[in-house]
Amino acid sequence: MTTTMDRRSLLSRAALGATGLVAATAMGSLAPEAAFAAQTPDAGQPDPNFAEGVITGRNQDLLQVQGSDGRLHRIQLTGVTSVWKLRPTTIDQARIGDGLYARGVLLPDGILAAEAIWVNIVNLTVAITAIGRNGVQFDHHGQKVVGHVQSGTTAAVYNGTPAVSDLSMLTVGRHAQVIGAWRPGTNEIDIATIYTSN
Amino acid sequence: MAGITAEASWFCCGNAWGPCGSAGHGACGTCNSGSMQHAWPNTSDACYAITRPDSCGITGMSRRTCGFRHATTSPCTGKRIVTSIADCGPQTDLFCGERSCCGGNCASNRVIDFTPAAFSALGLSLSSGLSPVSIDVA
Repeated sequence: MTTTMDRRSLLSRAALGATGLVAATAMGSLAPEAAFAAQTPDAGQPDPNFAEGVITGRNQDLLQVQGSDGRLHRIQLTGVTSVWKLRPTTIDQARIGDGLYARGVLLPDGILAAEAIWVNIVNLTVAITAIGRNGVQFDHHGQKVVGHVQSGTTAAVYNGTPAVSDLSMLTVGRHAQVIGAWRPGTNEIDIATIYTSN
Repeated sequence: MAGITAEASWFCCGNAWGPCGSAGHGACGTCNSGSMQHAWPNTSDACYAITRPDSCGITGMSRRTCGFRHATTSPCTGKRIVTSIADCGPQTDLFCGERSCCGGNCASNRVIDFTPAAFSALGLSLSSGLSPVSIDVA
């Protein structure tokens, strides 16, 4: 069984560039599902091994992030960091102006060694207001959100059935949950998965 | 109320970026995406009137207010977290009968919404959006 200390050590060394992907793979999954909390945070309190905010600077693979709660984060991307930005992607896709959530291990120097980051990800409970050839419009708590369909990526889940690319069963007026990637500075998202009833 | 198995999702709060910019700090005024918190569908009469878990056949949903602690375990990862109530939600009645599974573990009906920090602390990817969980009093 992989221990927390094993993974902390791995991420620490990865952050220092002292290890690599082969070693990481030997330790276990690189998927976001493998993200973990090295220390159990108190209920109701900020999790020190998690960061949220907008990327305000980038120096190679070190991100500077302004948290919405006022905290400033330094997040180190490594060869073992999994990155999601509409789909699983590479660390170069995290750019200034993007929003993100990150989970990893807070190192003694205050840097968060990231095991997983989710860039611009949103999870919205919406009502479907219009359906077009290349997109779907939503009402999100009274605000219009424009959803773009991305061929080969966008999928629908109807009543918990397996995800399909066929969006033809979406219905105006239905409520839905949408996982997508926000386009910074706009009210637009690219749709990853839309969950709805039919 | 005994422990329950149900669907969990996640939501943002705390005036963060993107569409979360107007989300505010939730019904309890304390909610932040980076904190170990969750929303519960029966924090008050007004809350229950919105979420209506009874319309999905869930009866006896306990009234629990801001700060109450739940322990949640993911059957997908085996991880357990303790979080406190910071908001009213999810809107259970919008997704009655919906089902999510991992491996051979399945659950129906949304009963709890986590902050991104809490959802990912369960070892779940935010991109998955939904997952079965077991919920109990901490």
